[in-house]
Amino acid sequence: MAMKVDMSALETNFSIPCLDDGDGMHLSADSPDVPSMVLPTCADFDGFQAATKDMVKNKRGTTTLAFIFDKGVIVAADSRASMGGYISSQTVRKIIEINPYMLGTMAGGAADCQFWHRNLGNKCRLHELSNKRRISIAGASKLLANILYSYRGMGLSIGTMIAGFDEKGPGLYYVDSEGARLVGNRFSVGSGSLYAYGILDEGYRFNMSVEEAAELARRAIYGATFRDAASGGCVSVYHVGPDGWKKLSGDDVGELHYHYYPVQKTPVEQEMTDAPSTSA
Amino acid sequence: MVGKNCFAIASDRRLGVQLQTIATDFQRVFKIHDKLYIGLSGLATDAQTLYQRLVFRHKLYQLREERDMKPETFASLVSAMLYERRFGPYFCQPVIAGLGENDEPFICTMDCIGAKELAKDFVVSGTSSESLYGACESMYKPNMEPEELFETVSQALMASVDRDCLAGWGGHVFIVTPTEVQERVVKGRMD
Repeated sequence: MAMKVDMSALETNFSIPCLDDGDGMHLSADSPDVPSMVLPTCADFDGFQAATKDMVKNKRGTTTLAFIFDKGVIVAADSRASMGGYISSQTVRKIIEINPYMLGTMAGGAADCQFWHRNLGNKCRLHELSNKRRISIAGASKLLANILYSYRGMGLSIGTMIAGFDEKGPGLYYVDSEGARLVGNRFSVGSGSLYAYGILDEGYRFNMSVEEAAELARRAIYGATFRDAASGGCVSVYHVGPDGWKKLSGDDVGELHYHYYPVQKTPVEQEMTDAPSTSA
Repeated sequence: MVGKNCFAIASDRRLGVQLQTIATDFQRVFKIHDKLYIGLSGLATDAQTLYQRLVFRHKLYQLREERDMKPETFASLVSAMLYERRFGPYFCQPVIAGLGENDEPFICTMDCIGAKELAKDFVVSGTSSESLYGACESMYKPNMEPEELFETVSQALMASVDRDCLAGWGGHVFIVTPTEVQERVVKGRMD
């Protein structure tokens, strides 16, 4: 029996004519797993999209990183959501669990990342069911990249890393809303990524224990939250091994600073406690 | 913020260029004389230059009048100096606090071209000014003693800057009473 190649990822979404049946989105009958988005009908489509992009005002205020080492993949992120100067939340979950052996990171527009990662999770599960084996990380990232490429120029803002463990070993891909898909060993994404790279590149070795790797990731994200105003909150560190992902730690950055740099007692205070008491 | 025969003036300690933090020990609250302090938020270079110009004017005043400037007079001086640059302003919003005649606390704030705004309870300026207004409004009580005033000001400052990306990285609080000045550095979130 010949296996049918799954070509659904190659189909473009917005050439499907969309009938708005009240809820704004409908699943077309021939490919039920591909949601077809309603597009506005207006004279100047590109101008309208540009205006919407400005209105939504996606700010990539974040720091996420991931790297491959001999025991799998470490994925870490901060947890701050900022709208311009205002901090809207310090407790955002930026590491999205796509399935038990694959993680995605969120940078850019929160709604975009959450929706498309969930959508990717659906596609991966359907692939598993129709092909009787898990999808590879390369395949999953390609699915996402093709979807994002078809929406290129329409104002999606996603800078994500797909990290996981499959038959070929650990896999790490960078995928963004411009349609880029890069394979690599070390990535950091977001406004604080440059600061994180400085620490990550300096401390990285391929052969590390899981604790050492987690501490490197934690230190790199901490450094980025210190220097970058748009990153902060808590550092979450995940490890993806042959058995799937596991959350290693979630530390508040405010406390982490005083853990790395404890407050020094000034000399004057010490002199006063050492001075012997005189008796009358 | 005004207390009972005393006042508190506080600032955060960050110096940054848009999103990048350059320093975490930048001084924004300056002493003019023992009972007069000015805090300058906004562009760092303008804050330093304005402070140097004001110290110069105050020293000349001291030589001529043989006494320290009253806070009300100083506020008018700052307002005039800022309005001189109406069409090319200093990008600073000052907060002035002092003990006037009979050690009555005096506070006022200004926008960057010198519009004076006097208040009886508290004044704020900076990127987190909206948060600060909210925090001070809820935490302020009239006639607070110096210790309680310090607690209130520190809590209001820390709570507000924790909601602002561009401010924080510690706090610097001065409590000024007729007899002494207490200067304290407050531990804050360093993100």
